[in-house]
Amino acid sequence: MRLLLVEDELDIQSFLKCSLEEAGYQVDAAADGKTAEQFAVEEAFDILIVDLGLPDLDGISLILRLRQLGVRAPVLILSARRSVDDRVRGLEQGGDDYLTKPFALAELLARLRNLLKRSSPAGSEATRLRVLDLELDLLRREATRAGQLLQLTPQEFVLLEYLCRNTGRVVTRSMILDKVWGMRIQPDTNVVDVHIYRLRGKVDGKGQQPLIRTLRGVGYVLKDR
Amino acid sequence: MSSRTDSPMVRSAAWRISLWATLAFAFGTMIVFIFLHRFIADDIQRRSDAWLSGEVEVLGDVAERTPKDALYDRVVGEVAELAGKEVPNKASSETSSNDSVFFLQEGTDSSLKLWVGAGSGQNTLQAIRKKKILSDQPTDLRVSGFPVPFRVASIRVDDGSQIYLGLSERDELRVLNSLRLRFFLLWLLIVLFGFAIVFSTTRRMLSHVRRITEAASRIGHSDMHSRVPTTGRNDEVAQLALTLNRMLDRIESSMHQLHTITDSLAHDLRSPLTAIRGKLEMSLSAATHGEQAEPIVSAIDELDRLSEFLNQSLDVAEAKADALRLTRSEIDLDELLRVMVDLYEPSMAERGLQIGFGSAGSLKIDADASLIHRMIANLFDNELKHLPAGCSVTMQLQVEADSASLVCEDDGPGFSPDVLPHLFERRVKGRESNGHGLGLAFIDAVARAHGGAVTARNRETGGARISVSLPLAAR
Repeated sequence: MRLLLVEDELDIQSFLKCSLEEAGYQVDAAADGKTAEQFAVEEAFDILIVDLGLPDLDGISLILRLRQLGVRAPVLILSARRSVDDRVRGLEQGGDDYLTKPFALAELLARLRNLLKRSSPAGSEATRLRVLDLELDLLRREATRAGQLLQLTPQEFVLLEYLCRNTGRVVTRSMILDKVWGMRIQPDTNVVDVHIYRLRGKVDGKGQQPLIRTLRGVGYVLKDR
Repeated sequence: MSSRTDSPMVRSAAWRISLWATLAFAFGTMIVFIFLHRFIADDIQRRSDAWLSGEVEVLGDVAERTPKDALYDRVVGEVAELAGKEVPNKASSETSSNDSVFFLQEGTDSSLKLWVGAGSGQNTLQAIRKKKILSDQPTDLRVSGFPVPFRVASIRVDDGSQIYLGLSERDELRVLNSLRLRFFLLWLLIVLFGFAIVFSTTRRMLSHVRRITEAASRIGHSDMHSRVPTTGRNDEVAQLALTLNRMLDRIESSMHQLHTITDSLAHDLRSPLTAIRGKLEMSLSAATHGEQAEPIVSAIDELDRLSEFLNQSLDVAEAKADALRLTRSEIDLDELLRVMVDLYEPSMAERGLQIGFGSAGSLKIDADASLIHRMIANLFDNELKHLPAGCSVTMQLQVEADSASLVCEDDGPGFSPDVLPHLFERRVKGRESNGHGLGLAFIDAVARAHGGAVTARNRETGGARISVSLPLAAR
């Protein structure tokens, strides 16, 4: 996956480049709009990350310019601004995504994956999810572990489904709040953790291999190894 | 708004203004007419008096000079009749029998010596006797059998007899009557016409004012770009609109200034926070031991708290200046509260707290989803952080007049008396609180930005009660 990173803050640029390369992306970085334009015209990228506050050019103008030049790759917009600009909202509706600084790396990666999935033709929707001996029936809303039916509340099933869909990948608390409860909030209490503990108590029984792991300071991951 | 049931017509000041103006106009014209009427009546009477005095003198003269023979009656009678034909103010369609004038000669023995006029003259003679008529001034005389009084002048002839010439006031009264009738009709027409003109003019002018009011009340938190409508003219109302618009320009510019400041502050703080967070995450993934990871994890937590604090304080600052930007959409509070209760219930249960939720069903508001979510999460966080184990929280959602009311009650220790008066100020928190003291200030700010309100107090039975009201979505 080739990725163009347009970010003028060199501190942020360097750690993003590092982390993105670690996540398997082939990253080219530009610090201003002009360089970014040259890169984008010369080479084909699968996805772009564009910061809104560039020194020479407004990030949105850059995106619109690239679109005019025929760049079709999806864009993840980064912004440190307070309010979500109407123009950004317009781009969001056009299939691009938006992330406010500061962000968790896991969330950035998840959004990139989503954008890439959206831009590639979607396969038929699975009706069953399977992670090792954990099985989810998405139609009957039932989960079994090693053949045993798990007594889950509807909300717990949605949470487990979200973890399963992201097997092997870290999900943060705010991602869980957003996707499972539909809220972009930042509670300073342990609300999400308690839900995970409860779910773990039901999914990971005694003597079974623990599936739901906590990555302290980052979030949670459903491990299939 | 209780006045919504009245029609805007009745509520409008145009009614009162035009009613008073018309009353004043009608009263004024009426007084003018009364003076005019009196003047005309006096003038008519003066004329007929002059005629009467002149004629009666002529008749006296004729009576004196005419020899007292058999022809006397005839000569004087003819002259009197001739005089009767030259009556002033006489209507043209008068019948031949002249009953508007009489001539009467009273003999020295108080008998009717000569009579020219309608009827026998006895009634008139009686009336004259009853009323002492002085010779020099014409006076009014009522005669039975005649509906209208006569104006009578008299003169004494040398032979001792008295000559009376009477003129009916009928014609005079008819002139005045027709004058009054015409004036009244004209007056009615003018008054109605005037009322219509004043009403429509004031109504048009006040409707401009009403449009300005409506537009001005719409311009507020979310919509700062609109301006009140201006008319092309240069009158007071147009001036009002222009002044309002200039004021709005200034407000918008200072709001813009504030937004620029908060935006750049946010930007300048968020960029380094992003870099720090990124580096922390990288070193966390490199840290293999739990001991190494622990301080990094807590640093990341602190950093997330710091950025949320930054967001909230900027929101509160903007809201205090009435400059919070809202992206409104329809939110079902009932649904949102159910999700929130579902989200918080396990954490509450873990801390030994009970939570109850009561609602009367779907309740829609038009609000900024992100702010409302954070506001309600703040309410729950507040309870979760401050209540000792064993307490219970009740959330009650209901409709009150035009707003949705969310009441959050607990049976905990309540607010301590020293913070109670300052609950909605920034940086106020209880001694045991580990929050950053923005919670209630943020809740208050969000509610205000949406045109709602928050009240917080201690319940009589113990515990705290926070009530948030938000305007319902227009249906």
